[in-house]
Amino acid sequence: MLKRSIIVSGALHVGIIAAATIAWPHALAFPADETPPNIPVDLVTIADVSNVAPTVQEQQKVETPPDEPAPPQPAAAPPPPPEAEVAPPPPDKTPTPKPKEAEQNAVPPAKPALPRRRPQAPQRFDVDTVLALLDKRTPKPVAPPPNAKPAEQTIKGLGDQSALSLDLKDALLAQMRECWNVPVGAPNPEQLIVQVRVFLTQDGSLAQPPQLEPATRAAAATNGYMRTAAEAALRAVNVCEPYKRLPPDKYDAWREIVMTFDPSKMIGR
Amino acid sequence: MARSDKTLLRRPWRTLVIAAVFAFDSLFGAFAPARAALQVRVDQGVTEPIPLAIPDFLGNPQAGRDIAAVVRADLERSGLFRSLSPASFIEKIVDINTPPRFGDWRTVQAQGLVTGQAVMQPDGRLKVDFRLWDIFGESQMVGLQYMTTPENWRRIAHLVSDSIYERITGEKGYFDTRIVFVAESGPKLNRRKRLAVMDQDGANPVFLTQGDYLVLTPRFNPTAQMIAYMSYIQAKPRVYLFDLETGRQEMLGNFPTMTFSPRFSPDGKSVVMALETNGNSDIYLMDLATRTTKRLTNDPGIDTAPSFSPDGKQITFESNRGGSQQIYVMNADGSNVHRISFGAGKNGTPVWSPRGDLIAFTKITPNYFGVGVMRPDGSGERLLSHGWQDEGPTWAPNGRVIMYTRTLQAGPGGAGGGSQIWSIDITGKNERRVLSPGDASDPAWSPLIQ
Repeated sequence: MLKRSIIVSGALHVGIIAAATIAWPHALAFPADETPPNIPVDLVTIADVSNVAPTVQEQQKVETPPDEPAPPQPAAAPPPPPEAEVAPPPPDKTPTPKPKEAEQNAVPPAKPALPRRRPQAPQRFDVDTVLALLDKRTPKPVAPPPNAKPAEQTIKGLGDQSALSLDLKDALLAQMRECWNVPVGAPNPEQLIVQVRVFLTQDGSLAQPPQLEPATRAAAATNGYMRTAAEAALRAVNVCEPYKRLPPDKYDAWREIVMTFDPSKMIGR
Repeated sequence: MARSDKTLLRRPWRTLVIAAVFAFDSLFGAFAPARAALQVRVDQGVTEPIPLAIPDFLGNPQAGRDIAAVVRADLERSGLFRSLSPASFIEKIVDINTPPRFGDWRTVQAQGLVTGQAVMQPDGRLKVDFRLWDIFGESQMVGLQYMTTPENWRRIAHLVSDSIYERITGEKGYFDTRIVFVAESGPKLNRRKRLAVMDQDGANPVFLTQGDYLVLTPRFNPTAQMIAYMSYIQAKPRVYLFDLETGRQEMLGNFPTMTFSPRFSPDGKSVVMALETNGNSDIYLMDLATRTTKRLTNDPGIDTAPSFSPDGKQITFESNRGGSQQIYVMNADGSNVHRISFGAGKNGTPVWSPRGDLIAFTKITPNYFGVGVMRPDGSGERLLSHGWQDEGPTWAPNGRVIMYTRTLQAGPGGAGGGSQIWSIDITGKNERRVLSPGDASDPAWSPLIQ
């Protein structure tokens, strides 16, 4: 009896492993239209070729007549010669009560994360990546012949993913370029590259405060210019909320975004 | 026995089914495709002022209004901030010790809020508290308190501005500073030039000399208490020192020939300047304690306008030794002289930025004079301003803003003209005139007042 059980058990284990091996790649392929392949080369290509004009309306500006600085005293009646001004004492301790520390503000505390799995490192075997590489060598599709009939149903393939990714990025860039106040006055501003992770809800609101990526957080902790750049990026993410131009039906593709703020192209402008 | 066997048979199956379920769960749970975050590279943005809400400070109504007005003016003048109209505010601040209603301030599009109060103390002093709030982060970014005599309220306002500027930009502010300059008045043929100082916003101008003698190129020392300048007292053009605390002035050294274009070393212990001999000028360094001099250049060309790097290890200056007026850099001991400007036209009056990353200079072309910046190795040259005659740059102590003299071209018959002080951000934006009592030229920015 025991022997039979062992045989049955062994057979079932083999069967499970075989089924998993066969089914796994398919399981990866199912949500292909949800998860754009993360291919760094594509990011550069998209940035270069896409040219979607920004259609986000500019934020309404509150026009404020600047306050005139106090006029200088008339030259005809010069004040007495300068005397050593009594320097105010060094700033005392922060008045109480002290709601929060300023430093904490740079990195707002994270609210509970979205109920989803955190992104993981690239899998050892990624079918989409392989297919995407193959796809690059494939010539671009030519225009269909005039008598071609449209398919009854749109097939969500890799090409569709790239187009989706491109559209999303252009939509985001068009919006972000209106909100990001670039700190170009710092020394070597081209080095102040900031990465922020953004979590969005389906209506385009921030699901939680944007978070600095670890490398940025570490740099901002020791470099004042980096902290300023990081705060400018966080402000940009906040100012741009809500992100209404992102298609709700593709929510899975943009629910989590890593924005890299690179000021190098803004220097001298 | 048969019953027992059936039970045994059933149990392994049940166990296996459960195990299979767990196996599949763990298998697909572990290897389920992760949703990669969308990667976006943002490389375009704006360079616009950050909107701040700065209501009048609470407490003493007059002081509260005045201080808030100076803070608003300071920050707006930097070009990096925009003060929102108080008429748009929803929340009326009644207590600076309680957090504001951040949503109300987001509604009026404020990104920062400054609240403060100025209260007269029983001992006659003025106590000023302020807080800077991050509207999106919903937290306090900085909160400080100052005590001073009521007459010092403007300085307190500048200190508040400096704190806000530093906390948001990451750089030291420059509002609690002064400008020394040459105030010009009178007809063109009998121009009166007086040494003068004023706050960086043009307030509190004070004349240091009476205008009996021509004065040129005043420069602050690192403590902002001493000024080196060139004057034609008794028809002898020499470098002088003026002590702002005592009002005493003295000739620097006793040279038989003209000395000019002085500038203090970063430690304030010496002055570098040009000395003319037989039609040629070279650069000398004078130790202020011992009054000994050391010759740094020895060239038949005209070397002048020296300026130290902030670390004191190098000096930039202008020279025509290569055939035209250009900018050079050498070590502080005079070694390793090399030319760094190769752009169009002539280039002169180099001034090293206090933060060391740039050298500001005057560009001279047949059609215009302009003020530009370049890196200390001569690369990255950018012209920031140009006019009929824009010249003589001086740096704000944080190396972010430059002031210079703008001379206006006189119209037909000599109408118009005159000289003014202007400022511009090193990004080339926010060019604006600095208020001064009448015509003014040759500004030099002080370090932060200590």
